[in-house]
Amino acid sequence: MATTSSPKPSVGGSGMNSILKKTLVALTGLALIGFLVTHLAGNLFLFGGSTAFDGYAARLEAMGPLLIVAEIGLAAIFVAHVVMAIKLTVENKAARGPQGYAVNDNQSEAPSRFMIVSGVLVALFVILHVKGFKFGPREEFGGSLYALVMNEFANPGVAIFYIFSMLILGTHLTHGFWSLFQTLGLIKPEKRRKVKQICTVLGWGIALGFLVLPLFGLLSGKKRTPLPDGVKELIQKTEAVR
Amino acid sequence: MNFTLNVWRQKNGQSSGQFVTYQAKDISPDASFLEMLDVVNNEMEAKGEEPIAFDHDCREGICGTCGIAINGRPHGPRNAVTTCQLYMRNFRDGDTLTLEPWRAQAFPVVRDLVVDRSAFDKIIQAGGFISINTGNAPDANGLPVPKDDAERAMDAAACIGCGACVAACKNASAMLFVSAKVSHLALLPQGQPESRKRVKSMVQTMDEAGFGNCTNTGACEAECPKSISLDNIARLNREFLLSKLFG
Repeated sequence: MATTSSPKPSVGGSGMNSILKKTLVALTGLALIGFLVTHLAGNLFLFGGSTAFDGYAARLEAMGPLLIVAEIGLAAIFVAHVVMAIKLTVENKAARGPQGYAVNDNQSEAPSRFMIVSGVLVALFVILHVKGFKFGPREEFGGSLYALVMNEFANPGVAIFYIFSMLILGTHLTHGFWSLFQTLGLIKPEKRRKVKQICTVLGWGIALGFLVLPLFGLLSGKKRTPLPDGVKELIQKTEAVR
Repeated sequence: MNFTLNVWRQKNGQSSGQFVTYQAKDISPDASFLEMLDVVNNEMEAKGEEPIAFDHDCREGICGTCGIAINGRPHGPRNAVTTCQLYMRNFRDGDTLTLEPWRAQAFPVVRDLVVDRSAFDKIIQAGGFISINTGNAPDANGLPVPKDDAERAMDAAACIGCGACVAACKNASAMLFVSAKVSHLALLPQGQPESRKRVKSMVQTMDEAGFGNCTNTGACEAECPKSISLDNIARLNREFLLSKLFG
């Protein structure tokens, strides 16, 4: 009897089989968790006030081209994670076939079933977050990133959006963190429950660590939004007329 | 006991199906789910109607032939049993039960509740066996196997290939099945010589059959009538990645 079938090209059009595709999502996910940890560590300078936080920002920016390389690498990892996850989701939907279940009482944990939903929400948050802070109007606050961040967080709408997004991130990590070790085959038999517990605690530790920042800004934030230049001029003119 | 059944009726793979409602009357609480269907079918045949087609064979939970999604759960609401070992006393009198075939691209409906699971056979043909000469029955303990490995191999070998894992998975992934079939050989010395080739070939065949990608949700483990562990999927991933890295 022959042992193996003759070699055939892989399916899916991507030239990658299912486990390799999942491995890519797992490895990029691990890298993104690594980024989250360093990002959170840096952000804790926010509690140290303007000097500490702006000093940290200045030290990061002093890295110059190295920082740009790191940022491009991070963006590439992020895009790879998102694109591959979307591709897998599309394939998985197709695998159900033409007719779905009329009644479906799925016994898995909810965060594992809604990874694409939580993932897309987190990705949308990241876009708005980068736009608002990295490319935000820092010059309006005398170049102080601290003032910009605290001012944004003092706005309840922004703070609640950030807090909500961090809860979504927590649910994403609830499944994503332990699941990546399963995909990489790094979980020993009978140790899965323990790995899952540790990863869930660490994942929520990261998410809640971030969540504290907008909460801190909201509770301590009395800073008013600086008036736009046009409005300032208008006020000056009105006073001059009086 | 009396039940209302919403049954998926489909003439063949080409036609489109729909739900048809039937009444199951005076069913013994000690009847198995399949025996309940037998009663309903007997009545239908007496009336000259086409009976409901469903797969069954041993009716003692060891062959893996039967399998119906009952109220959205493969093999019904009880854990670790096949449809044939599910008894009507597990339901309440007057319950409405929705009966659907396994839903997966790789398991096309043949008729009513019967699906074609030959995709699983193709995966086994791709490497789920040992072709080396293992010789005559060896002396006891002539081939040392750690007790834990023997237990894990036996647990994986309990897979009856019913397809409930695929039916339960939101991605219709066959990873639990393939991982059980890879694991029970990978854990034993006789499986070692062909382990690298086996895992690559079986995963490739699995992908080609149109099963989805595993996302570790664990729905398969929850519905498996033989309680095959998700640990096997971690082992399959490890075996596969090692085979890709080292040959």
